[in-house]
Formats: sequence, C-alpha cells, structure tokens
Amino acid sequence: MKNIEIFEKVKQENRTALLEHESKKVLRNIGVNIPPSRIITSLDDALIAAKEFGFPVVMKLMSSEVLHKTDAKAVVINIDTEEKVIETYDDFMKRFESFSIAGILIERMVNKGLELIIGTNTDSTFGPVILFGVGGVLVEAIQDVVFRMCPTTKEQALSAIDEIKAKKLLDGFRGMPKVDREELADMIVKLSKLAWEYRDNIAEMDINPVIANEDGIFPVDARIILK
Amino acid sequence: MTTQLKNFFNAKSFCVIGASTTPNKPGNVIAYNFVHTFPGKTFLVNPRGGELHGQKLYKSVFEIEEKIDAACLVVPAKYATQALEDSGKKGIKNIIITTGGFSEIGEEGVLLQQQMSEIMKKYEMNVIGPNCLGLFSPELGIDTMFLPGTKLKRPESGPVSIFTQSGAFGAAFIDQLSRLGSAKWVSKFISYGNASDINETDSLEYVGNDSDTKMIIIYLEDFKNGRSFMQKAREISLKKPIMGIKANRTETGAKAGASHTAALSSNDAIVDDLLSDAGIIRVTTWDKLKDCVLVFGTQPLPLGDRIAIITDGGGAGVMASDMVSDCNLKLAEFSPIIQKNLDETFPSFYATGNPIDLTGSAVAEDYRIALEAAYEDPNVDSIVNLCIPVIPDLDINEFIQITKDIAKRKEKPFVTALVGGDEAVYGTKELMKDDIPVFPSPGRAVRALGMLTDYVKYLKKHGIDPRKVSMGEGK
Repeated sequence: MKNIEIFEKVKQENRTALLEHESKKVLRNIGVNIPPSRIITSLDDALIAAKEFGFPVVMKLMSSEVLHKTDAKAVVINIDTEEKVIETYDDFMKRFESFSIAGILIERMVNKGLELIIGTNTDSTFGPVILFGVGGVLVEAIQDVVFRMCPTTKEQALSAIDEIKAKKLLDGFRGMPKVDREELADMIVKLSKLAWEYRDNIAEMDINPVIANEDGIFPVDARIILK
Repeated sequence: MTTQLKNFFNAKSFCVIGASTTPNKPGNVIAYNFVHTFPGKTFLVNPRGGELHGQKLYKSVFEIEEKIDAACLVVPAKYATQALEDSGKKGIKNIIITTGGFSEIGEEGVLLQQQMSEIMKKYEMNVIGPNCLGLFSPELGIDTMFLPGTKLKRPESGPVSIFTQSGAFGAAFIDQLSRLGSAKWVSKFISYGNASDINETDSLEYVGNDSDTKMIIIYLEDFKNGRSFMQKAREISLKKPIMGIKANRTETGAKAGASHTAALSSNDAIVDDLLSDAGIIRVTTWDKLKDCVLVFGTQPLPLGDRIAIITDGGGAGVMASDMVSDCNLKLAEFSPIIQKNLDETFPSFYATGNPIDLTGSAVAEDYRIALEAAYEDPNVDSIVNLCIPVIPDLDINEFIQITKDIAKRKEKPFVTALVGGDEAVYGTKELMKDDIPVFPSPGRAVRALGMLTDYVKYLKKHGIDPRKVSMGEGK
C-alpha cells in the first residue's frame, strides 16, 4: 500500500494515529530499514513468522483502542520459544477480547543498543521540523535534542547529530558500538523529506526508540499522527 | 523582494505627508531631516499649506507636479487610509507609514491595517510599517526617524546594517552607536514595525546583497515568514556575519501533544537550533550585541581558535583563560623561537607562557614586546591585551600609544580590556576614539573573540575561507 493510501485509509476509519505496523509500513516505503516483521491474525501465522525471523521475537498488540502499548502490557519482548509465542498469543486474545484488534505485530527483536529519537512536528512558524536526540523513555526528562527545518540536507542532519550534548555516546562510549553517523543522517533526511512531502497529512511523528547497535540502526517503535 | 527596499533607498524624490509646523512633532522632525540631509528632491505636504523649514507646504500630493519615488506618511491612523489612497492615485509606489494605532492595538487597528493592505494591493505599493521608525541611512541622507536629533543622536556612516521589529529597540541602539567610539557605524537601518508588507526576510535579503553592509544586526520578536528567513540567512551568513536578538523567548511553551516530539517542541528550542543552523549568531543581552558591533565592526576574522593573553595581573589572566575554555577557544602554544625570545627578554619572575604575565612590575614597553611577539607568532590567531593600570610604573599614555600601534595592523583580531577606575576609563575613552575595541572586563574581551571565532568555525564548516569574507576592519 502506498503512503497516501495508508493515510487515506486511517482517515476513513476516523483515526488520526497510525498503528505501529502502519507507521512502519510508511517508513519501509521510504526506504528506512525496519527489522523483519509481520502482522498476523492467527496462531499458526505467528509460529511461522517467529520461525522465519528467528528467536527471540517481540509481539505487540495492534489496536486503535490501545495507544500506550507498554502501559497496557500489550508488548511482550524476549520471546525465545514456540511455547512463549503460544502463551503470548493466548494471553493477548484473552485480555483484549473485547477490543477491536487489527492483529498482532510479530517482529524480530532488536538487540540492546543506544536509544535515540527522530521525530517531526508541525511548528506554527516554520512548518514541518525534525528533531534528533537521545531517545528512550526518559527523552522528555533528558531533553537532549536538536531541531532542523524539513526537508533537511544530509549536511544539516550531520551537524544536528554533532550538536547533541551526549554526542560522546555515538563514538563507542564504554564499549558500546560506534554509531554510523552517515546511516543515521540518511535516516534523518528520509524522515524529514517524508514530513515535508506529506505536510498536508502528517502532524507529528515519533520514531522512538531508534536503536543503534552492532547490527545497525533500527526504528523499534514508530508513531505517525495525522492532521 | 530585494527590489522593494532598493526602491526606497534609491529614491530620488521623497514626500513627507503630514509635515507638521509644531516643533518636535514626528511630522516636523521627519520634514526637517529630509530638508537638511536628503540630497534628492523633498516635498512636504500639509492640508493647511504655508511653509516649513524654508520649503513650501503643498496642500495635497495632487498639487505636486513632479513624480515622487517614495513617501513617508506621518498622519494619525484614522487619516492614514485616505492618505494612502491619495498616494496611490498620485502614483507613489513606495510608502513608509511610521504612525502607530494599527494591528498592535487590537481589533479596530487590525481592521484599519486590512483596509490599508487592500489599498496597497490595488496600487501595487510597497509599504514599510505601520508603527515603525522606517529607514535611516547617513550615507544616503534618508532619515524617517521621527525623534529629534537633540534627543536621538545619529551615528555616522559605517559597516553595520540593522533591521528591527521594535522601533524602541532600534532607536535606543542607534542612539548608543552614536556615542560608541568614532560613531561611524551605520550603513542601513530598517525598522519595519507591524510588517504589513516589507518584513524581516525582505530586510535580510536587501542588506545581505548590499555591498556597503559588512555585518548585519537583527532584533526580532517573531517571524512573518520564518521558513524563507532561515533559508535566506543560510545563504547570506556565508558572505557576511548576521547576529542579533530573537526576543520573546518564553512566548510559547511546547504543547502537550500525542508525541514526545511535540512535547519537546517549545517555540524557542526550535528557534534557537534553526538560528544556529542558519549561521546566525544569537545573543541574548543588549551588552553582548554592542560587544558584537565593536569586534565584528572593527576586526578581521581570525584564521583559527588559538588565543594569546597578555596581562599585568595574574587574576585577570586566569579569568580570561577560564573564558577561553568556556568559549571553546584554545590557549595558543607559542612557537619555540618566540618562546625563547620571551624567556630571554623578560626577567625570570615574569610568566612567559600563555598567558604572558608581566606582573605588577610591568612598564608599558613590556607590553610592546609581549604584544608584538604574540602578533608575530604564527601559532597565535587572536590576541587579548589585559591591563590593570593601577601598577606604579605603567604609564597609561604609553600603554595607549602601544595599543594603538598594534591595533593599527589589523592582521589578527586584537582586543583590549582595561580594568579599574579613572585610568582605565581614560584609557578606554582614548582608544575607543579610534574604534579600538576595549572592554571593561577580561571575560567580555575574550567572549567577543569567541563570537568572532564561532563565526569562522561556521564558515570553515561550510568550506568558506574566512580570508574571503571582508569585514568592517577596512573602515
């Protein structure tokens, strides 16, 4: 499905927030590298997907009634056996029986790493702006972020990366892997272009966390909110 | 866009509509300014007719037969729409409206400003204002600042162009520049007030392309056209430095949105990052802005970030060194031959590293030796000359002469701090007569170099050789 079709579909369903799998589909469409994932609606499909991706996997409930997935215990990580896939599947089905469910997103778990954030917002003065910084659950407390106007050039993205206070973390701090700034900048540029191109549709976007580890840089959670 | 402001500054004839016979009234002051400083043709209009400042008062613009390039409207807000309509009929395309009482006062004023905008569009006019001081250029003899010269002193022609949203800020800053050093500072001054037409982006574009403007000072509270302003600034900041104040920092906090990004998007956090991304040096206080004018307006750009400090007081040297690190500068390491010369020339109780501490035993001649050594050293990019003149054997007049001699060379940025009482004040005054930057504390002197060096770092990051950027040092 093309991005504009995804946006139209969400609007037709009277929603403003894309579900995670929809947001990730949008990211995949613009060439952002997403860990292997699939939306499934049956236990059989869940088991096939898990085997295909390789353990451990993560299972997340996709429902427009559950926006704060972690709070609702609708995210289970570190699923490393078939038994646990079955267990999680049954648990979700039981606990969220009365919810309207789009499916369960099953994806290969991304290893631990440095948690970053890339987000966009619509500023009343400057229109679409993009933010880059230290991500994770503490993002609003740490507030180590830098803004650029969308669309941003790679040069501007690289300078934004260089302006965060915790930039030392990107250079292999205490045994952590060194973050590929070029790849990170490319991701910022792609997202800034997305926010600019679809400025009539997209209001806000949070890619948090973006995890940088020895395998690469991966958007782990994604949220796109429409106007 | 640029052409709009060009039309004003290149006007060969100017008309003051609302020229007043009452001394010190805005319409009286502006008429006086034009009659006395404008080299082109000046026309004065007042419905009562008569004479003013030795010139005829036309009862209406229609009485004037010649073509009028630009006009300044100094009539009360309620008469402004009619005056604008008449100007349009007369074929005047460029109008400055200094009068207040428009969108800044609320609903009634907003309505009035809308009516004016319609007239503007109908006659395809360019408008500066309303609610502003308009334009000032000592070189071109244009001066719509309605405050009398006895109160608001006018600086002379120089390398700095200024544009401001606030007229009061502009007036105060202009007045300050009139007593800063030689007073030779201002190229173009634009106060655009409510920005019904010409705004911050037009102003930036004009002064950015103006060859007489070597540096740009801005004062903004909000943006009419933020995106294009930032885009323009990115281009212009590679040719000449832009610095200034974006006030109203606490105007709007972030709205609690559905995303972390929205929660972190406070208006000022965004503005701050975008200004720096566009190469604009943001300052938050009035003092810093004046320091900017002093250093950017008189010094060449440094080629690097290595600072030499010469002092006669240990404490001043230590404080300056602290500021060196606060401003992301480095203390220069003297080259071996220079270091050897210093070691051999000065008594052993002088500290000859960096800072060079000439101690309380210093005589003025010691300063000459140390300053020249630092100046000659290719390892030194900028020099800080600190002096606490209370020490017994230092002759302040000799120190002044030595500082002047070094300052004349203008090959490297060179700043002085004179700290103390009468002699410090005297020395500052004498040096400032020649526009040699002197600061009242070591920290401010170093910080001024820090801003200059930050600009060089920005240029280098974008592949620009700082030697290709001509500054105000040639004035």
